[in-house]
Amino acid sequence: TPPRDSLGIPPEDAKYFKSDFIKCRDGSKKFTKAQLNDDFCDCPDGTDEPGTSACSRGKFYCRNTGHVPLSLFSSRVNDGICDCCDGSDEYDGKVKCPNTCWEAGKVARAKLKKKIATYKEGVAIRKQEVEQAKEGISKSEAELTKLKSDEKILKGLVQQLKDRKEQIEKVEEKERLEKEKEEKKKKESEEKADEQDKDSTERQHEENHEKIGNLDEPSLEQDASQVNDNDAVEADQNGDSSGNEASHSQGADQHAADIKKTMVETESGHDVESNTSPDKIVKQEIDGSDNTEGLSREELGRLVASRWTGENSEEQTKEVNDAKKEELKGSSETQETEPDEDYDGYNSSEDNYKYGDAAEEEDMDDEFEEDDHHDSDASYKSDSEDQTDFSDLTTTSSPSWLDKIQQTVRNILQAVNLFQSPIDKSEAAHIRKEYDDASTKLSKIQSRISSLSQKLENDYGPEKEFYSFYDRCFENKQNKYVYKVCPFKQASQVEGHSTTQLGRWEKFEDSYRTMLFSNGDRCWNGPDRSLKVRLRCGLDNELTDVDEPSRCEYVAILSTPALCLEEKLKELQHKLDLMNMEQPQSHDEL
Amino acid sequence: WKKEEFRNCNQTPFCKRARSRKPGSCSLVATDVSINDGDLTAKLLPKINGNSEGEEEQKEEPNKPLLLRLSVYQNGILRLKVDEDPTLDPPKKRFEVPDVIIPEFNDKKLWLQRVSTEVINGDSSPSSVVYLSDDHEAVLRHDPFEVYVCKKGGDRVLSMNSHGLFDFEQLRSRKEGDNWEESFRSHTDSRPYGPQSISFDVSFYGADFVYGIPEHATSLALKPTRGPEIEFSEPYRLFNLDVFEYIHDSPFGIYGSIPFMISHGEVHGTLGFFWLNAAEMQIDVLGSGWDAESGISLPSSQGRIDTLWMSEAGIVDAFFFVGPEPKDVVKQYASVTGTSAMPQHFATAYHQCRWNYRDEEDVENVDSKFDEFDIPYDVLWLDIEHTDGKRYFTWDKVLFPHPEEMQKKLAAKGRHMVTIVDPHIKRDESFHLHKEATNNGYYVKDASGRDYDGWCWSGSSSYLDMLNPEIRSWWAEKFSLQNYVGSTPSLYIWNDMNEPSVFNGPEVTMPRDVIHYGGVEHREVHNAYGYYFHMGTADGLLKRGDGNDRPFVLSRAFFPGSQRFGAVWTGDNSADWDHLRVSVPMILTLGLTGMSFTGADVGGFFGNPEPELLVRWYQLGAYYPFFRGHAHHDTKRREPWLFGEKNTELMRDAIRTRYMFLPYFYTLFREANTTGIPVVRPLWMEFPSDEATFSNDEAFMVGNCLLVQGIYTERAKHASVYLPRGQSWYDLRTGVAYAGGVTHKLEVQEDNIPAFQKAGTIVPRKDRYRRSSTQMANDPYTLVIALNSSQAAEGELYVDDGKSFEFEKGAYIHRRFVFSDGKLISLNLATPKSGYKVYSSECVIERIILLGLSGVKSALIEPTNERADIESGPLRLQGGRGPSVLTIRKPNVRISDDWTIKIL
Repeated sequence: TPPRDSLGIPPEDAKYFKSDFIKCRDGSKKFTKAQLNDDFCDCPDGTDEPGTSACSRGKFYCRNTGHVPLSLFSSRVNDGICDCCDGSDEYDGKVKCPNTCWEAGKVARAKLKKKIATYKEGVAIRKQEVEQAKEGISKSEAELTKLKSDEKILKGLVQQLKDRKEQIEKVEEKERLEKEKEEKKKKESEEKADEQDKDSTERQHEENHEKIGNLDEPSLEQDASQVNDNDAVEADQNGDSSGNEASHSQGADQHAADIKKTMVETESGHDVESNTSPDKIVKQEIDGSDNTEGLSREELGRLVASRWTGENSEEQTKEVNDAKKEELKGSSETQETEPDEDYDGYNSSEDNYKYGDAAEEEDMDDEFEEDDHHDSDASYKSDSEDQTDFSDLTTTSSPSWLDKIQQTVRNILQAVNLFQSPIDKSEAAHIRKEYDDASTKLSKIQSRISSLSQKLENDYGPEKEFYSFYDRCFENKQNKYVYKVCPFKQASQVEGHSTTQLGRWEKFEDSYRTMLFSNGDRCWNGPDRSLKVRLRCGLDNELTDVDEPSRCEYVAILSTPALCLEEKLKELQHKLDLMNMEQPQSHDEL
Repeated sequence: WKKEEFRNCNQTPFCKRARSRKPGSCSLVATDVSINDGDLTAKLLPKINGNSEGEEEQKEEPNKPLLLRLSVYQNGILRLKVDEDPTLDPPKKRFEVPDVIIPEFNDKKLWLQRVSTEVINGDSSPSSVVYLSDDHEAVLRHDPFEVYVCKKGGDRVLSMNSHGLFDFEQLRSRKEGDNWEESFRSHTDSRPYGPQSISFDVSFYGADFVYGIPEHATSLALKPTRGPEIEFSEPYRLFNLDVFEYIHDSPFGIYGSIPFMISHGEVHGTLGFFWLNAAEMQIDVLGSGWDAESGISLPSSQGRIDTLWMSEAGIVDAFFFVGPEPKDVVKQYASVTGTSAMPQHFATAYHQCRWNYRDEEDVENVDSKFDEFDIPYDVLWLDIEHTDGKRYFTWDKVLFPHPEEMQKKLAAKGRHMVTIVDPHIKRDESFHLHKEATNNGYYVKDASGRDYDGWCWSGSSSYLDMLNPEIRSWWAEKFSLQNYVGSTPSLYIWNDMNEPSVFNGPEVTMPRDVIHYGGVEHREVHNAYGYYFHMGTADGLLKRGDGNDRPFVLSRAFFPGSQRFGAVWTGDNSADWDHLRVSVPMILTLGLTGMSFTGADVGGFFGNPEPELLVRWYQLGAYYPFFRGHAHHDTKRREPWLFGEKNTELMRDAIRTRYMFLPYFYTLFREANTTGIPVVRPLWMEFPSDEATFSNDEAFMVGNCLLVQGIYTERAKHASVYLPRGQSWYDLRTGVAYAGGVTHKLEVQEDNIPAFQKAGTIVPRKDRYRRSSTQMANDPYTLVIALNSSQAAEGELYVDDGKSFEFEKGAYIHRRFVFSDGKLISLNLATPKSGYKVYSSECVIERIILLGLSGVKSALIEPTNERADIESGPLRLQGGRGPSVLTIRKPNVRISDDWTIKIL
């Protein structure tokens, strides 16, 4: 046991306790040297009892020679648990704490050394990345500037071509009318038939359009069918209770089947056929009139359970219906390009329906649009397509494609003689083609400008160290889920063919040590999903430890060189130096 | 709460029928009155002279005589039994709940020797009068039949059938055309034995209020449910149900049932009535004047509260308790159903729960966070998700691959773990428990005789027939360390869903026509199902520890006697201020009816509490007998460190307050264990003659020393606190004294709720905080002496090993501290006998705080003749405010010794 007047006192504070009367640090009172560590709390802040458990706010210092010193809560002193590796916190003889500092210190030093090594390498990588980022950004900026000027020129050319095209078309129209007059009588009957054809196609087109329009208001339709459903249940029920009880359950089953059928019909209106599953019905029931009668015993059990569990029932059925979803995926893929997205969209609108909030529904619609922009796969792909597409445009070394176009335009504008009649067909076609090509190129440039500006708008950190995260996604597989984090865009959880949005990019937090994704898919009975990605120094960009500590609030860890900061490296080195100093010389380099 | 999913009285034929009966419709008269086997017995028969028409429909067949038996027990307990005569060959023996009345009660029976027959107060018929106690007599009036207790030769105290509402539907065989089925929503109850309900009126004389009959989320003093000026109300329902999002302020039945009512009045004191019956019960509290048109006037000038008791089945087995003090009534009730089990010390500390701590890493993180923030806690709980697919006694292999190691890590810090074991057993052929239960025929049977198959967490499930002692014993074996793979001795159990909850059953429970052991119908045993399950589980832990490790089992469902098996909590409450508020009357009511070890989920189970509500809940919950934070899995995490530094500090302080008072709480748990007097008490239990306390359920007493009142509103600036009359009260934070008999308007701070120590009391504390209560065992004590106007005070301290049953053999320390005439004396309350075990402790008292004294400088300790300084110091080392108080510094006397400290 160390002497009472130094027990639990850090060496740098030793002076403070030298005098005969010592002040409580909070200034509340004074105490005598005899009261120092006399196992009675005189200072509420614990000044007088650094070495005992008498004061609840005190701190106990252990030297831990061979390892790092430690400052403990007083509550740990003589509590029967060894906290200091030198065992100095347990001195009342009730437990024996072996001194493990040398061993622990060795391990800790080794760990620290390894960490320092990682940091060293990481700092170098980070430097490179910062440089690359700067380069990339200035390149992008240069490209953007150039594209903008190109855009200006090209816009002018397109306008010229357009004007010319329209002039030609006017002349053509005139010619055509004359021609028509000649042929009118001859071909009158045939033309009539043509006209009719054209009409009917148009009408059909309009009808289709209306159908699509309906998609915007799924809940109304569902609502209506829901009401009908419930009426039906009620009616069924009444019939049953007055009739024979024995037939009841059969009737109930029958009715459940009816509900299912109705659901399918309702849903088929949304082109999401075969997406019916029992949980859907269950959910509807909960949030609708909550009429539980007429459910099968199992459905009723699941329904009641789902009140407590919320999503659990959904998940349960999800498993059951995995096969079904496979089918869905298979069939819908042929019809639609982004089945997952659509499927999710359906789910979300279901959610929406449940909360019955029209305003939210609108929000949701907005989000759908955003989805299109933000979806990682989509944007990644389209970006890369752009990239390849633009290779001919952006390879600045080659003599400008723009010059070529300008030349061509000049040529054809001169070549085409508007006053020549009839107009040279090939010339007209040529102009049209040039116009089409040029405006395609213009819109490509514009889209490139917009994607570049968007990219440059992002906050890539004080040294742009996160620039390389743009256009990248990090994945982590845990059991049946794949977590996908795309910085500056969004994060998702993929299970088989279904994707759940964990959040859209919001910002960096915590001095660029955390990435925040928020406003993900809504939880059935909880908040909107969100994800916090804590960043650590590491040599590779690696996503680990995805966790959901609170319902629908996810956290993950991403190790990345971007976090390998030089100051931190210095700090660690300093710590190691201290540890080495504490180390008894004799043990050195054993 | 889905109102329409539960039956109201009108949808419950027996209730509707009983409620519509008119006073005086009972036509029974007592005949053949005599003394048999020390009891007063009689037959009840309908009056022959055909006076019974009127409102009452003529019965299809004449009733056979009912057997009535009145027994008398020590301490003023009258027991009344009415049942069918087994010798007259009824279709079935009616269910009489076994295993609730403790064996010792039967030893207290007084053998009646004589009965006197007299005509009282100008009655038209004679009454038979027997001795009940030195002050009381029990009376059976013959015609019309009535049973009552009165003071010797004086006022009535308690009576039954004074309004002639007694009705007993005898079992009969089904005749052609009888349709006994009852339907509710999509469920049909086959009711093979037809109507068999019982109802009667009970009157409490000299009563200002009635209390008890949990479990309802409502006020402590029970509001009338019928009578003039009372809008329509349901009766108080006693039917154990798993009610999703129950609402506050409702007479609706929730998880547990105790048909025990207590009345209290200023003049007449306290009375109790207990009906041991496990079938669905409905109880009306009748507002005064309800019987104005009945033409019945009871021979009493005193105030009175009438009640109507209705049960679907069973027999009459009722107990009248005469008090007269509040504590006498709870003792009388405890002598029938038992006192509460002595909990392990750790179980009286703070519990941390959530649905669900997901995996071992989560557990480790939460555990280490408590240490990081220096917040003590003792028990970490695992909800249903820790199991392999809701197969209890198993572990999810991915989430909890090393359960033993995990528990050992906690145990190394003196902490414990609790896992959940529910009564629904997954119908899975590969699950050994299901296979065994199926093969042994251990499941309850549905009406067609097959194993009942219901739906719960585990999906398709069956339920063990816990009424059968053989099955309980088999069940108990499942808790052995060998059978419960992955369990360790530091693991304890939580029984949830034992109402039983059946998701696809009628009213989310088991159909009433399910058959139990001995052909008992579920309707007859329903309210006791959870009780038997709790019993079997507690037995299991007892067996596991070779009978020397006190079980800890938390149950949601309960019944009279559940106090012997462990703790209960108030179920799935909600994170709102109303639920915080109603937790107090709920816990007080449970305490009055024998359940001492109770609490509400701190923070509220459903929903996300605002930090302020959470802090207030911790501040109140620190005084609940059972102190556990819990949350639904859809809620945000709410461990105490998640709401910023300030709130962490406030919650830490609240939790530490509980740890500081642990010695006091443990002493109170021992008092409850020996006497049945609850740990937390309504004010009127401590101040039975202070009328202002009778309906106060905002504040409560912790033992007889501390008064606590929660803060139940947001951003409260002030609170009105009534401090009972007779003495002054010291603020626990500041030591400032407040006068009694006054409602004080107090300023409210965010760092505490109003709490006071009564003048004249001594409270033992431990002011050093540790990781868990386990490490506090050797820490020194603080005594807080709050002097009354005659400069006197007294208090107690009980200590034992906190774990085993050695205390039952005398291995404990029990001291009484008495301060008077300027000296503090420690007296031994333990009664050592030869051969008794000894519990020794090195613990000393490091600090004695003297409230209400001034101008003293030192103290002399005898017999050592040492001196101790008296200085001024803080009332609390942490979170104290206000002026300093006189403190005897380091007297260092041992708690196990006799000593005297003289103030000089």
